[in-house]
Amino acid sequence: MAKVELIVNGQSVEKEVEDRTLLAQFLRDTLQLTGTHVGCDTSSCGACTILVDGKAVKSCTILAVQADGSHIKTIEGMATNGALHPLQEGFKEEHGLQCGFCTPGMIMTAADLLSHNNDPSEQEIREALEGNFCRCTGYHNIVRSIQHAAKKIRSGEAAVSA
Amino acid sequence: MTFIGKSVKRVEDQRFLTGKGRYTDDIVLPGMTYAYILRSPYAHAKILSINTSKAEAMDGVVKIFTGKDIAAAGINGVPCGWQVNFKNGDTMKEPPHPLLVADKARYAGDGVAMIIAESKEAARDAADMVDVEYEELDAVTNAADAVADGKPLVHDDAPNNMCFDWELGNPIDEVNAAMSAADHITSLEFTNQRVIPNAMEPRAAIGQYEDHSGKYTLHTTSQNPHLTRLLMCAFVLGVPEHKVRVVAPDVGGGFGSKIFHYAEEALVIWASKQLNRPVKWTSDRSEAFLTDAHGRDHISKAEMGFDKDGNILALRVKTHANLGAYLSTFAPCVPTWLHGTLLQGLYTTPKINVDVTGVFTHTTPVDAYRGAGRPEATYLLERLLDKAALEMKRDPAELRLQNFIPAFDGVKEEGYMTQVALQYDSGNYHGVLERALEMVGYEDFRKEQAAARDEGRLLGIGFSTYIEACGIAPSAVVGALGARAGLYESAQVRVQPTGKVSVYSGSHSHGQGHETTFAQVVADKLGIPLEDVEIVHGDSEAVAFGMGTYGSRSLAVGGSAIVRSIEKVLEKGAQIAAHKLEANPEDLEYAGGKWTVKGTDKSVAFGDVALTAYVPHDYPQGLEPGMDFSSFYDPANFTYPFGAHIAIVEVDKDTGKVSLKRFIAVDDVGNVINPMIVDGQIHGGLAQGIGQALFEGAIYDEYGQLTNGSYMDYTMPRADDLPSFEVDRQVTPCPHNPLGVKGAGEAGCIGSTPAVVNAVMDALAPFGIKDLEMPMTPERVWRTMNS
Amino acid sequence: MNLKGNYQFDASSKAIWDCLMNPEVLTRITPGISRLEQIEEDQFKAIADVKIGPVKGSFEGNLKVAEKKEPERFVLKITQKSKIGNVSADVAIALNKKEDGQTEMEFDGKAKLSGLLARTGQRVLSGVANTLTKQFFKALEKELA
Repeated sequence: MAKVELIVNGQSVEKEVEDRTLLAQFLRDTLQLTGTHVGCDTSSCGACTILVDGKAVKSCTILAVQADGSHIKTIEGMATNGALHPLQEGFKEEHGLQCGFCTPGMIMTAADLLSHNNDPSEQEIREALEGNFCRCTGYHNIVRSIQHAAKKIRSGEAAVSA
Repeated sequence: MTFIGKSVKRVEDQRFLTGKGRYTDDIVLPGMTYAYILRSPYAHAKILSINTSKAEAMDGVVKIFTGKDIAAAGINGVPCGWQVNFKNGDTMKEPPHPLLVADKARYAGDGVAMIIAESKEAARDAADMVDVEYEELDAVTNAADAVADGKPLVHDDAPNNMCFDWELGNPIDEVNAAMSAADHITSLEFTNQRVIPNAMEPRAAIGQYEDHSGKYTLHTTSQNPHLTRLLMCAFVLGVPEHKVRVVAPDVGGGFGSKIFHYAEEALVIWASKQLNRPVKWTSDRSEAFLTDAHGRDHISKAEMGFDKDGNILALRVKTHANLGAYLSTFAPCVPTWLHGTLLQGLYTTPKINVDVTGVFTHTTPVDAYRGAGRPEATYLLERLLDKAALEMKRDPAELRLQNFIPAFDGVKEEGYMTQVALQYDSGNYHGVLERALEMVGYEDFRKEQAAARDEGRLLGIGFSTYIEACGIAPSAVVGALGARAGLYESAQVRVQPTGKVSVYSGSHSHGQGHETTFAQVVADKLGIPLEDVEIVHGDSEAVAFGMGTYGSRSLAVGGSAIVRSIEKVLEKGAQIAAHKLEANPEDLEYAGGKWTVKGTDKSVAFGDVALTAYVPHDYPQGLEPGMDFSSFYDPANFTYPFGAHIAIVEVDKDTGKVSLKRFIAVDDVGNVINPMIVDGQIHGGLAQGIGQALFEGAIYDEYGQLTNGSYMDYTMPRADDLPSFEVDRQVTPCPHNPLGVKGAGEAGCIGSTPAVVNAVMDALAPFGIKDLEMPMTPERVWRTMNS
Repeated sequence: MNLKGNYQFDASSKAIWDCLMNPEVLTRITPGISRLEQIEEDQFKAIADVKIGPVKGSFEGNLKVAEKKEPERFVLKITQKSKIGNVSADVAIALNKKEDGQTEMEFDGKAKLSGLLARTGQRVLSGVANTLTKQFFKALEKELA
């Protein structure tokens, strides 16, 4: 057993975990943050993607103890005071989700993309999503959802800078 | 306010977008234990002994059950829900499908023991310590090989591994005669390869027994909770159905693979009573590859005869369908009644004979996967059409248009009787192909293709026009075809005293957006706000009964059941309103959420009538209080969506890689309630169909091992493998259901596969290549170009 | 999975034969093998650790030398079990005399895999097998020098 201390969605967390506990399991089982999903056992599907210190990481690829001291953001931490994040809004407006299982991972991956490129081309979006499977949407509307969010973020930034 | 026909944003999205979806594996119950299923590593092996003593002694292990324990408890195997007989009238072979095998494993993945522990990790650790001694036996994996004499048998009582043989259509002599009169015969021998559904949420099940009430609850990843309850209670465990609640909460995709009743569901329910503690089982992806029912896997020979003008004269088909090691719930109907009946396609073919042999092999059971039988039929027909066009030097689009059934609306003109047992409801097949040709800019494309060929670039265009039978229902029809269950749907509309409405549907949503689409129908018909409607589904304790969601049936059958209940609500409401307005019910009209006396401004609102129904102080004499109606809707016929798909590809000469440049889909799914959701269903179907054409396929080795059972080995389309889709629709309403809808869930998956394959064949035409098996991977294409 | 290949040694077939029949030498030169214990004549208990991409396993089983025809050929019968799946293989090994005292070692066989080992990464296994074989030959060459 080992002790881990993290900031998860802005709250500090301190827990004892088995050494072999994956970060994905830690979030789901220990913290009951079940919005992070596990869709495979080979780190291929991306459903468990979260942000670790702002970078998209498949939470099944690292141990909870390896994340000690980092800032974690999961899908549960995306909305602020009940207002949806532009990506959440984009997915709703453009029907970027069906069964909802891959959606948290898609949104977190897209959040990383938009954090360093707020005007991605369709090709850039598709390439950024390469580590995330969706079996429902054919990706068509996911691309549009992310474009929707990017536009919203750009207009927000324009408003702030104006 | 009208909602029908509008792209209303989805009601369910809020919880999914904020991480508040509640999938089976998210649920934790007090005192829960965790099960791990130890599975046979061999495809065919005798189990000589199982020693669990070391494992049982490990920390955290609660209990281990083996196949012997299950047999000793008198538990039956998982039943099959559809019977297809041999041509000679003999009943199909239906060998037992035990929850855990005691004596023999019949596919790699067959369950051997269930280890239950305090944590998933402890269960898995203990499974490693269970010692099973096997005697490995030879295996068969290919359906056409498995029927030969002298091959290893999957089941001793199924000679030549045959489950059934079956035929449909015109007598073979007539078809042979028509074929021998043909000026041209196009033939095709091909494999419609086995694909693995891969819903993103792996299957899971939680069994819970409460000894104070003697009741069980099963939470499960099911498209079909009521049928699971029926099969599990009546056929497997012998537990009284009213003592079992089955809940399918949020379910992360199904695509067919979650229709069926699986062994793990019965195991966790049974074990929860033995231990008097909840038992949860969650599949790994690796386990999902082995144990979720697979799809397709047909080996076919098909011939189509034409006269000198290109009119189709006859079609002859022989198919070996791989059923896997055991019969999954609907397995026998997929290659027969869902495949043979669709071989008329959109064409006027006067003589058709299809012959199907269902075959057991040492592989994972095969059952319905998105489209189920209809993609296989469409692939067969549409490959034949494109190949025939090439051979007869005809334009593939023109050859189709020439042979299409003329338009009919099913009202003024009768439905079209096929040679293969169906009557199509309504159709305008020329319309969809002509629209698709317009969208693609066909003439310009042919010029571009010629210019590209001059530059040494390989561009290709491929067509596919399809029809499907969906809205799977009419009970009398499916009963006659061997279904052991009715295929109606139920809906209860409960008007609450305040005029809010709860709807309990037997359909199940696992991505299709029922909570939105159904609410649109209800809000529209009752003239009330959308947020006043709640759709409840997936809980056998809340919903009277249900046949679940598959075969693109939810709206056509489940939605129609809702409409029937609404009609009953409005009829009773009119009586109450008439009483309140001191008028005759016949003199009232209902619009905008109120009853009005025709020609006056006297009216009473829906909410007031609802309240009166529950507080019936001043009330029509002899009328019962309350406002709560159920309906079981059993339609008159299947529905028949159709469409035209066109793919444009470029093949890289140096690497063999196929790039999908454009994909055009014009689908006619009848009336549309929510265009945004219908488009989404089409997109997803297209991706899966394209996946089969270019990427996906289970590969078994000669020992019966699935050699690509992980995401590192099994390729599915990723975002940058696909273009944005160009979709449009035509609307030919279904004439026989109250919404005029036909179903959209499978359409994309049915039409897209042959379009892509035909496009690749068109691109490779300069090489003289006429046939190529799926998936069209770079290696396969490259080898073919360079051979 | 097919296993096939050959390697030329600057040694006599007798010298190679002696190396191959010596459990101590074999333990030293076979990649992954951590222990080889003789149970009876021509029969050994073998323990090996193998890691192929994400698939990692500890194998335990038998090695049997059969159909011996000294110093020309023998068949190696391998059965190995692990938590990630089992392997069984029959590999025919021939030592062909060449000119200048050289010997060509030729092997030809088939390996049968099950479990996780069969379904995860089997595609890459033949590549891995090639690498391991090369390592083995190099080590054997060193041993002979």
